[in-house]
Amino acid sequence: MTAPLNAVLGLSAVLFGIGVFGFLARRNIILMLISVEVMLNAVNLSLAGFSQHFEESRGQILALFVIAVAAAEVGVGLGLVIALNRNKPGAAVADLTKLKW
Amino acid sequence: MTLLTLTFYYMAAASIASALLAVTRKNPVHSMLWVLALFLHVAGIFLLLGAEFLAAVQVIVYAGAILIFYLFVVMLLDVPEEEARPRFGGHWPLAAGAGLSFIALAWLAQVTTFEKVGTASGARGMTEGPPQGSLAEIGMALFGPFALPFELASLVLLASIVGAVVLARRRAAKS
Repeated sequence: MTAPLNAVLGLSAVLFGIGVFGFLARRNIILMLISVEVMLNAVNLSLAGFSQHFEESRGQILALFVIAVAAAEVGVGLGLVIALNRNKPGAAVADLTKLKW
Repeated sequence: MTLLTLTFYYMAAASIASALLAVTRKNPVHSMLWVLALFLHVAGIFLLLGAEFLAAVQVIVYAGAILIFYLFVVMLLDVPEEEARPRFGGHWPLAAGAGLSFIALAWLAQVTTFEKVGTASGARGMTEGPPQGSLAEIGMALFGPFALPFELASLVLLASIVGAVVLARRRAAKS
């Protein structure tokens, strides 16, 4: 085994935690979306680790679906950013108070 | 400890460092470039884990398509003004606590449940190296037992394309 499963899972957990921190702490909506990408990558990493450990290709197939959904999420998320930018330039979530009366 | 294991630990350390830098840099473009470094290192780890196709998809889709899309949208931002703003909300210690508690939870789940699974599969896990022809195996599985989810993924992508066009379209100037 070139990469022990425990190390892969630990790395995945750390990357996911960094993504959670970034998503909750950043104030820029684009960087929040990037943090989501970091989290999805962490999940893919653990799926690939399981796939190697159990000698199963299903983990890799699930990771492929995760990548497809990530691409869809980016399309819709950045479309929303562009639509918001048209109303009010900038990407700070603190400025998005349209629904607050 | 073989050279490949050392490579894995280098990739792991580099990806953690670049993820940390990506979520903490002031300039959004710098963040994007650190995320690019993270994606490439994760692709390297995929290679080490015997997932060659996943590594290629990671480089092509994430580093090639998704990140370029992000960089295009970053061009909408006024970067100097963005740098002058505070990076984190005032609640960032809470966010750091959430991230750290997730890591602790995942570690706890791993040490309490995974020990048993690891020993259970230890007998057949002795065969060394990645399975041969894993790309062919993935292709057969995608068009065999996973054909329906595969087609549904195309439906999801179509819906997101239509959604992105509808959301980002400029409204007609009347009314």
